[in-house]
Amino acid sequence: MDSSSAFSQPNFYDFLNRMRHPASADLVRAIKSFIVSFSFHTTDAENDSRKLQDFLVTMESTIKEHPLWAHASHEEIDSAVEGLEKYVMTKLFNRTFASSPEDVKADLYISEKIRLLQHFVRPDHLDVPRVLRNEASWLFAAKELQKINSFKVPREKLLCIMNCCRIINNLLLNISMSTNYVPAGADDFLPVLIYVTIKANPPQLHSNLKFIQLFRRQSKLVSEVEYYLTNLISAETFITNINASSLSMEESEFQENMQSAKIANEETVTGHSSVLQLSEDDATTMRRHGKEIHVNLEGCLYPFMGSEAKELTTEDVQQLLRLYQQVVTRYTMLTKALARLSLHEEQLLHIMKDPAGSTELKKEIEKRIHEGAK
Amino acid sequence: MGCSSSLPDRNAGRLGSLNNGNSMVTDSKNLRVKLVLLGDSGVGKSCIVLRFVRGQFDPTSKVTVGASFLSQTLALQDSTTVKFEIWDTAGQERYAALAPLYYRGAAVAVVVYDITSPESFVKAKYWVKELQKHANPDIVMALVGNKADLHENRSVSVQDAQDYAEKNGMFFIETSAKTADNINQLFEEIAKRLPRTTSSS
Ligand SMILES: Nc1nc2c(ncn2[C@@H]2O[C@H](COP(=O)(O)OP(=O)(O)OP(=O)(O)O)[C@@H](O)[C@H]2O)c(=O)[nH]1
Ligand SMILES: [Mg+2]
Repeated sequence: MDSSSAFSQPNFYDFLNRMRHPASADLVRAIKSFIVSFSFHTTDAENDSRKLQDFLVTMESTIKEHPLWAHASHEEIDSAVEGLEKYVMTKLFNRTFASSPEDVKADLYISEKIRLLQHFVRPDHLDVPRVLRNEASWLFAAKELQKINSFKVPREKLLCIMNCCRIINNLLLNISMSTNYVPAGADDFLPVLIYVTIKANPPQLHSNLKFIQLFRRQSKLVSEVEYYLTNLISAETFITNINASSLSMEESEFQENMQSAKIANEETVTGHSSVLQLSEDDATTMRRHGKEIHVNLEGCLYPFMGSEAKELTTEDVQQLLRLYQQVVTRYTMLTKALARLSLHEEQLLHIMKDPAGSTELKKEIEKRIHEGAK
Repeated sequence: MGCSSSLPDRNAGRLGSLNNGNSMVTDSKNLRVKLVLLGDSGVGKSCIVLRFVRGQFDPTSKVTVGASFLSQTLALQDSTTVKFEIWDTAGQERYAALAPLYYRGAAVAVVVYDITSPESFVKAKYWVKELQKHANPDIVMALVGNKADLHENRSVSVQDAQDYAEKNGMFFIETSAKTADNINQLFEEIAKRLPRTTSSS
């Protein structure tokens, strides 16, 4: 995939610097009044989208004519408009992202559905060819989708999707080169993407897709980028509508699967919340003991890190035992996963001591997975 | 089929409203067009694309790495160019209902059948109807009878296909991705039929 043209890193600081220049006072005024104009109207996504798209087009021609960009190359102009999109959309994010109750509902619906589907949907149900079933590799693609809420700008959210698709394409390529498998284009790609999306259960999938479509600069939603975005929209649509026949299952079997998935999910939910309930109290406990424990969500998940044995009540011990069982189960699973990558725990910890460790680790793991795929 | 009922409308006003300019003029002489291929599984859609894009047929060739998005630029005699951006769609039955998401905003639809398979011709007619209902009203449609090299097993006559195409305002051609027969002609004919926005510049 051609990444350079669509996703060259625009220099945001250059944009901000130019905006500080006295000569850009008129631009700054236009931007400010545009942002302010948003708070005057009620939220209507389609309308907001039109306003933003028009604004970006107008500003693009203003910038082209502007003395500050005299003799600027096409790339520099483009980078300025990217900077503008980033600036404006960051300011307008809360107003424009997942802004209607319907969006919130749609997000909830799809993520709940995926949480059920995760229990029983297998590659077979989606026509993922046997040779492509390399679960560990798909996890990397899924990771990219899961990052989508770390970004507030349409361009950066879109980049997560493109990275996910790129990883899938690279893996398809690797597999076809190392086996006799004849690649089949969309017949391979879409089923894998759907499977990856189910594995990932990306946060606020519906709202993210809608946000990108409405607020990414129109002239950038074309060609390959549009194609891959359409594939994820397609995956979302397919998943939303999944029923017995779309998975080639008997209706009764599908219902049974959904039912047992529901029961399984309810169990984990109650298990989790009893741990999380402790958060407030335990946060203070930990501070009292002056231990170096961060009171974040993780700290709350392991609330006894700062405790002393003599303080524990019978209830605490029960709680502790439950936690212990959860942790051991997870640890065992993680060890198995590492073994499958032929990585050793100690090796992993050693790499992580090095500040550059995480990049090195990622490379290392990717290498292992590619080897595994051969 | 699983997810057919509410599909075409569900995302209406999203991508559709954004990219309604279906064939974007990069400048007055260079067109960029979105093209989708539709047709029964196995009629040769992927092979036609590969023939056109890479000039080869061998479906097992490793260079053909089944990319699902491919593009190829065609230089025409009037010294204009047309860049075809070819969108592959998943052929499995369970994904058929998603097709509208792909052909929305397309400037060209190539509907393919296999001249040795009457069922595939029936399916082609189904796609034509779908496109007439849901696609861009000024979409350029081509009806393609592929596998013309297998003419001794022909079961769809040229006349039938020609008549059907005419009635539906389509351009008709028989091709063979195997022998490369008429593949370039197919795309050249499409290029000629594209609406040209006569730019004043
Ligand atoms: N004899 C002959 N065989 C062809 C021709 N075109 C394609 N084939 C064969 O038909 C089979 C299917 O071709 P594909 O291009 O994969 O078909 P498709 O329409 O992309 O199918 P799906 O992706 O499943 O929808 C392959 O075995 C090709 O070798 C042709 O012009 N002549
Ligand atoms: Mg194909």
